[in-house]
Amino acid sequence: MIEMSGLNDLLTNEPGKKLFLLGNEAIARGAIEAGVRVATTYPGTPSSEVGNVLSELAKKAGLYFQFSVNEKVAIEVAYSSAISGLRSFVFMKHVGLNVAADPLMSIAYTGVRAGLVVMSADDPSMFSSQNEQDNRNYSEIAHIPLIEPSNSQEAKDFLRYAFEISEMEHIPVLFRTTTRVSHQRGMVELGDIEKKDAVGFFKSDPANFVALPVNSMGLKEKLVKKMERLKTVSEGSKLNRIETYGSGKYGIITSGEAYNVMMDTVSKYGLDVSVLKLGFTNPLPEEMISKFLREHGNVIVVEELDPFLETRVRMIAQMHSIGTKIFGKLDGYFTFSHEYNPDTVAGSLSRIMGFDTRQVSVEIDATALPPRPPVLCPGCPHRATYYAVKRAVKMSNIKNPVYSSDIGCYSLGVYDPYNEADVMIEMGSSIGVGGGFSNATDQKVISFIGDSTFFHSGIPGIINAVHNASNVILIVMDNRTTAMTGQQSNPGMNVNGMGDPAPEVSIEAIVRAIGVQYVKTVDPYDLKSTLLAVSGALRENGVSVIVARRECAMIRDDRMRSKKEWKTFQVNPEKCKLCMNCVEKFSCPAIFIEGGKIEIDQNICDGCGVCAEPYVCPFKAIEEVQTA
Amino acid sequence: MRTNIIIAGVGGQGVVTAGLLLSEAATIRGMHVVMSEIHGLAQRGGSVSVDVRIGEVYGSIIGNGDADLIIGFEPIETMRAIARASNKTRVIMNSEKITPVSLSMHDKEYPNNAILTGMADKSIEIREINAVALAKKAGSYKSVNTVIIGAAIGLGILPFEREDMLSALKNRFSGKLYDINRDALEYGMEGILANQSASSS
Repeated sequence: MIEMSGLNDLLTNEPGKKLFLLGNEAIARGAIEAGVRVATTYPGTPSSEVGNVLSELAKKAGLYFQFSVNEKVAIEVAYSSAISGLRSFVFMKHVGLNVAADPLMSIAYTGVRAGLVVMSADDPSMFSSQNEQDNRNYSEIAHIPLIEPSNSQEAKDFLRYAFEISEMEHIPVLFRTTTRVSHQRGMVELGDIEKKDAVGFFKSDPANFVALPVNSMGLKEKLVKKMERLKTVSEGSKLNRIETYGSGKYGIITSGEAYNVMMDTVSKYGLDVSVLKLGFTNPLPEEMISKFLREHGNVIVVEELDPFLETRVRMIAQMHSIGTKIFGKLDGYFTFSHEYNPDTVAGSLSRIMGFDTRQVSVEIDATALPPRPPVLCPGCPHRATYYAVKRAVKMSNIKNPVYSSDIGCYSLGVYDPYNEADVMIEMGSSIGVGGGFSNATDQKVISFIGDSTFFHSGIPGIINAVHNASNVILIVMDNRTTAMTGQQSNPGMNVNGMGDPAPEVSIEAIVRAIGVQYVKTVDPYDLKSTLLAVSGALRENGVSVIVARRECAMIRDDRMRSKKEWKTFQVNPEKCKLCMNCVEKFSCPAIFIEGGKIEIDQNICDGCGVCAEPYVCPFKAIEEVQTA
Repeated sequence: MRTNIIIAGVGGQGVVTAGLLLSEAATIRGMHVVMSEIHGLAQRGGSVSVDVRIGEVYGSIIGNGDADLIIGFEPIETMRAIARASNKTRVIMNSEKITPVSLSMHDKEYPNNAILTGMADKSIEIREINAVALAKKAGSYKSVNTVIIGAAIGLGILPFEREDMLSALKNRFSGKLYDINRDALEYGMEGILANQSASSS
């Protein structure tokens, strides 16, 4: 892969060297520079590349890396390493921090010995997430410092700084990026690589590390004092700076990606502003902000999602009796929703500052264009599973089934023509939610879960469903990888995050041990067997499990290409009766209609051959292309 | 000075790689580059677009009407990107059609190019190139993105030269793969100059 070709450059110890890095690659480099010895994660976009890079480089960089089973365990593993004296880094997507929130709240109390940085990659506009929660709020709930970079260079530099802050007060630090920061490429000047101990030692201190009420009472007070002391550090921090453009008439307070879009607007319209750019955002530099407020008659707070800075800036103005006019979200100038772009920010700023925005877009009704939403890849085993399940439900004459889905590529089963997701909330929810439907209704419930999500948080839901006698059919879509985030390993595989051989954890053995009686394993490419297994489950009571096991098409494709075993399929127009089943019901992106005939795009077809099975093409019109 | 480039296509076509190549050539010239790289939900088959910004810029997002160049890997996706164009925007469109499942599953065919390009303001010029044919001529379907980059260089709308792109290609490919991409670049440069614009034909 081209993006990975320069990966080893991330290990180079040549301070001053410049590399063109993705934000997440810069973060991985920052961890290497900081001398991180333990790094853990559960993959989640937009944080995923940090783990991909560290997994690849772990051995060469001399650090231990783990794709943990979920974010809660990831933070626990990193925590015990940090209190054993090793700098530790744990990273996840924003909703992953909900899973890890329980330990986070209490490790804030106990504190750490070596640095511990917890990264949350937030997703404004939800490019690949179920919500766009603003995780800066976690720093307030947990009483821990918060660092926000704006670009790749800052991502690397600020991460190192976060470790210094963590060790200064022995406190976990929250490092918050957003999609645009993690997935923006820019030039990064490298720094030196710190050398740290490779093996830790844990010195017992139960009064500090056993969070019984008797200990936590005192720890809470200590935590509040740590954050008090860090206020002074934030005041003098180089992460918080003022830049002036033109006469600097209006004051702007901003952080993260909002700084970038705001600055593009300032430079496009030549605005006169003075910008307080904040990178250390909890605790805030209160004196710096109050001075900035006093120096400007009007101050605009530009930040994405929640009014995290704005509420605090307004609070500081009130506490210091400053009458500066403050503009932001709370008075309706900026929105609470979605990421900002140069147009939305220019619109808001122009309403406050009174300048004309230039809109010179071409007239085109883009809504009239055929949509191209994300789809299951050609050869994806999930397509075959969804096709078979839908047929089985129809053949079994089931009325009003409820499809409870989960987080993964297979969430795309919600779209036409499959329509096999009626509800989908969060990681591991399909079975818990499914069990609830079974209690509340008389409808047949079919839950879908991927292999990685099964291990992540699906298992308690199955235990709950079995123990409480729910009627649920659980289909485990085991594609032998954590596919959606970029093919990371999971406990069902025989390799771990270090690239070492690892014991495979058996999904079938787990569900049998829980007490599930009906357990069938099928190859989804074999439509007939899959159909029979689902039909059988539809006749069962209680919890039944079907493991639909077939590796991700992207992994299969890479292997077939390297072995030169590539094959494709085509439609024989003599046999094709134009029944349209393949395009209407199976709907592989490689199959299309041209000139009134069904065609298969040879550049896209991955040769899975499922469309050639009689359950998709009853006329045997789809044939393998014979190469001479 | 600032050059804003939108590259739009379908997941699997090499859109991100094209963005990396443009960025690399610009950095070889010593220019400041910021590029967005958002993959979204699907690995293959969904709409993908990459913004590359060269020069005095902060963020990676190109505002509406601020694109200087749109490189479309596929006709429908080119038109989708044109919603962010102004009448000063230059547009290169690869004629390779990839039918969206949203059409096939409803028994519909791909609209013809005249209908598609006719959707936009007449003031915008769309230059079409059959990059697949040229890529195959160069030796590999996978060099389609290099052909299209060649087309952009051929029109003289990139802030760097052919030699910078050859250096970028050399950094990424060696041996036969470099030869294929070098030829693909040349075919793209020649191909776009030989073609009339799609919207005026």
